[in-house]
Amino acid sequence: MSWEEFARNMTDLENAREKPEALSDLLVLDVSYGSFAGLFASSLLSELGAKVIRVEPPEGDIARKMSPYGMMVEDTGLAYLVEGRNKYHITLNLEHSRGREIFEEMASKADVVIETFPTGKLDALDLGWDKLKSLNGRLILCSIKTFGEKGYLAEEKQTPDALDYDTVDQARSGFAWTVGIPEEYDEFPEHTRVPTKMGNWMAHYAGGAMAAFAVMSALLFREITGEGQHIDISPAEALMALNNYALHYYHLTKTVIGRVANFEPAAYAYNYFQAKDGMVFIAGYADPNWKALCEIIGRPDLVEKYPTLADRTNPQNFIPMTREIEKFTKNYTRDEILKIWLDYKGPGVTVAGEVLRPKETLDFEHWYERKALVRFSDKDYGEFLVQGLCAKMSETPPRLKWLCRPVGADNVLIYKELLGYDYEYLAKLKKDGIL
Amino acid sequence: MVDMKLFEIARKNDALRGVRVLSITRIIYGPWAATLLGLMGAEVIHFEFPGSGDLLIRGVSPGGSFPRGLSPGMMCANANKYHIAVDIRHPKGKKIVEELVAVSDVLMENFKPGTFDRWGIGYNQLKEINPGLIYVSMQGFGNWGSLSQRPSYDAYAQGITGLAEITGFPDAIPLKSQAWIGDFLSGTVAAYLTLVALYYRKKTGKGQFIDLSQAEVLIRAMDWTWIYMGITGENRERTGNRDVAVVPSLIAKAKDGFVAIAAFDKKEFEALCDAMGDRELKAFAEYEKRFENAELIYRRIEEWASAKSVSEIEALARECGFSASKVMSSEDIYHDPHYNSRKSVWKFIDPLWDDLTYPNPLSSIEKTPGKVKWAMRPVGFDNEHVLTRLLGYTQEEIAELYREKVIGRWDEKFPATAPPPGWDGKKGLFY
Repeated sequence: MSWEEFARNMTDLENAREKPEALSDLLVLDVSYGSFAGLFASSLLSELGAKVIRVEPPEGDIARKMSPYGMMVEDTGLAYLVEGRNKYHITLNLEHSRGREIFEEMASKADVVIETFPTGKLDALDLGWDKLKSLNGRLILCSIKTFGEKGYLAEEKQTPDALDYDTVDQARSGFAWTVGIPEEYDEFPEHTRVPTKMGNWMAHYAGGAMAAFAVMSALLFREITGEGQHIDISPAEALMALNNYALHYYHLTKTVIGRVANFEPAAYAYNYFQAKDGMVFIAGYADPNWKALCEIIGRPDLVEKYPTLADRTNPQNFIPMTREIEKFTKNYTRDEILKIWLDYKGPGVTVAGEVLRPKETLDFEHWYERKALVRFSDKDYGEFLVQGLCAKMSETPPRLKWLCRPVGADNVLIYKELLGYDYEYLAKLKKDGIL
Repeated sequence: MVDMKLFEIARKNDALRGVRVLSITRIIYGPWAATLLGLMGAEVIHFEFPGSGDLLIRGVSPGGSFPRGLSPGMMCANANKYHIAVDIRHPKGKKIVEELVAVSDVLMENFKPGTFDRWGIGYNQLKEINPGLIYVSMQGFGNWGSLSQRPSYDAYAQGITGLAEITGFPDAIPLKSQAWIGDFLSGTVAAYLTLVALYYRKKTGKGQFIDLSQAEVLIRAMDWTWIYMGITGENRERTGNRDVAVVPSLIAKAKDGFVAIAAFDKKEFEALCDAMGDRELKAFAEYEKRFENAELIYRRIEEWASAKSVSEIEALARECGFSASKVMSSEDIYHDPHYNSRKSVWKFIDPLWDDLTYPNPLSSIEKTPGKVKWAMRPVGFDNEHVLTRLLGYTQEEIAELYREKVIGRWDEKFPATAPPPGWDGKKGLFY
């Protein structure tokens, strides 16, 4: 059997249902609000089998309203439909004292609580860490928020009373500072030559991943000691740690790394070039590979003009070199350029790759074979194209069971199962505005 | 001066104490995954080839300068590891891998699909030595599937998934992040999955094989892109610094810099309108109205912000109750009192390289915070420590391995592979 077949046999998600779930013994309360960092963290846990209960206020999580152009499917926006996966959805009014008592009862049975309220809010509700740990010594409380739960601004009460927003996190991480077209790249309009946020909610996805990692490490520690603990994660800090060496380099040289469009400060060519119909990625940075690139575009003069890696990584040269190479690439479509590169059989290695519109990337069978993208039919909301599961694991594969549930759809099941509440009692709680 | 807060954190427990990880990884994706485990206290042994080692990343520095002989590319993804240099293709090198696998919990690798199998150290072979092994294979497109032979470059992953095409302004070009986010984000997810597998092994004793594709992680992280296109049949276009799903949430140009402003919650939106003194905008407090009038709302906020300083806007955010922050540079972050108080900006003394700074997003975990103990090591710097202390090789055996070039050290020709200039032959060694 070839390696590829062997690897596929082990990890193909087609066979997932016959295998166990890694986190099936965990109960997670996700009381996050308006935060895709919190939602992604609990998605990562729910995909691997944790029982995740979303605790929303009676009117629903405001994250359900965060949707492109306000598009809604029933009561829910598109982004939430992606991250409601495998989660039970109940409502509970934490502004109400009885609601808080009920939350305490649930927290005393949970392994993990995820919250994203503004700094200090949980304490103000008298549901802070001191309270929760007194109820459940094994509990892991994971706070995820822009400014964190502790530190100088928290002590000085200088954090705004506001939600955790991805754009603000991207700004505070230093990431936005390093993304974008530089001032001097003047063939582009002025308003586009600015620090630029990533198109997706990158800080929230980074923060969610970091939080899930921290939660798992705390669970492993609990296996040894039996003790829970409080995790305090900031999506801004998470993304900061993923921003290459910007901070390390500042310490060493007092130089601020600025934005460089699509260039790589340490290598050239290793960047995107404009084609007739979009952009292409072309790499050829070691000397022989740079020669190959110049050979392909019929510009040996560029080898003479920029002969060494040092010449090519001089930032002053990035834009002029690119303009020269684009004199060639702008004449061809992306497909034509890929073919020209593939046809090159001379010395040196240079590669060209597609920069695709998301709509174009949908054409690859690969994503569907591996269930990175799936057409999923959900009982409550219908059939959608969504992200599937990126993890492939041989023993405990992840699963996608359902996409989302309406606000409060699992009240009856969960309150019965967890707290023994019967239908009549639930009706009373509902009437009193507690659910 | 001793930093007492740092000292206090350093004395706390390590969540992953006792977990041993073999990182036979290159560039960033694999190394970063292993570093995260190292920050949480795992013992990480990082493999390179003798001589220049992982030169593709050690050679990475803006402008090609290596301050103090340090490689910025290497140091940002290799904290807390023991660095050994072994030719794992040599039978004796392969034996070292096998001996270490027998006493380790995790092996991470990001060579081309099938490479380790061909070398006789793939999952198929190593699970026989250690059935509890968690083998994490990190690839551009995964170990199988029609694109699996494509190269694994971060810039390619950002391009092919469409991430670059949704970043930037519609009237300019698509943008990738300068940071190798495909590598770093995927490494973070790989580290998470490794802990999930360790958790499962605690319950069952079983190890497993994990295959993670960086392109698929980026696809996973592209929020509403796919569902939106599935419903509308339209491409997701770039929208610059305005968020079209959270209105308003933007980066705007202020008088003296750039500022992020966000106020989606109704109360916050009204607070922002108050701060702007804009009663007309308040009419759009309802969410549906916000989306309908997004263009106008964004224009008004941008106009308003352009006449204010960043700090004025930040002060108004605190006073009135919406969110705002300066677009911070590494310099701003380095000096920021909040980040310094949280030790997410971790200023420390490295045993070999002296004073350094490292970001630490795990510093505020109550009982088992992440810690940066050291930043990076020269190629093969910890050969003796690992071979003697973990495997019991004798001085003579080790000398023989050096002679046969099975193991080796750095190459003086490449400063970023070697100890700092003027190294005394002892500083920073653990053995």
